[in-house]
Amino acid sequence: MSAEAYLSVIFWVLPIYLTAFTLYSVRAVRGPTIPDSVLAIDSMSYDLAAFITILSILFRSPILIAVAIVLSLWVFALDIYVAKYLESREIGE
Amino acid sequence: MVEELINEILMLVGTLMIVLGAVADLIGSIGLLRFPNFFVRLHAATVGTIWGAFVPLIGAALFAAGYVELGTYRWFVAGGAVVTALLILLLGPVGSHALARASYRSRVAVPYPLVHDALKEKLERGEKK
Repeated sequence: MSAEAYLSVIFWVLPIYLTAFTLYSVRAVRGPTIPDSVLAIDSMSYDLAAFITILSILFRSPILIAVAIVLSLWVFALDIYVAKYLESREIGE
Repeated sequence: MVEELINEILMLVGTLMIVLGAVADLIGSIGLLRFPNFFVRLHAATVGTIWGAFVPLIGAALFAAGYVELGTYRWFVAGGAVVTALLILLLGPVGSHALARASYRSRVAVPYPLVHDALKEKLERGEKK
């Protein structure tokens, strides 16, 4: 098989990722408590980093990979700040 | 000839890992939508994080390493994908644990269908701070 065949397989896998993002967004909007929304946004952004990496291969634009690294670090910061706020009701001096 | 075979195997394994990651991502999102409370949803979220983000990132790194049409920049893509995968492997569980601990301690999320809470007894007896 040539590279184009593998790329077409990856292209037809992308709707599965988009469906998963839609379901994560439903939980992030509907979530009864704050940790539910934060958890949904957390999972969605980690998967978005993987999605951006796949897009950078499909579009042949390697500069997109820098977005994925920064995105995963920011989502970790969101987790830690929300956890700190919930536990002690302040986000740190 | 050998080099072409290696590139072919790298692309095949990378495609399989990306497809596996997509399926795991869908399973994790359905679990996050259907499970009853926050502490059970954490289980589905970790499926969606490790199997749904770490595995396709490693697959994308292998695919980019074997995809010659990208030129020299394919090593840039592969290295960046491996760095992102290692960051997610380390930081995802840390964030989930911090969030679970904080939401239990602050009683924001109520574990509603509950059978037995051993941590609550330990906290009341003062064995654990």
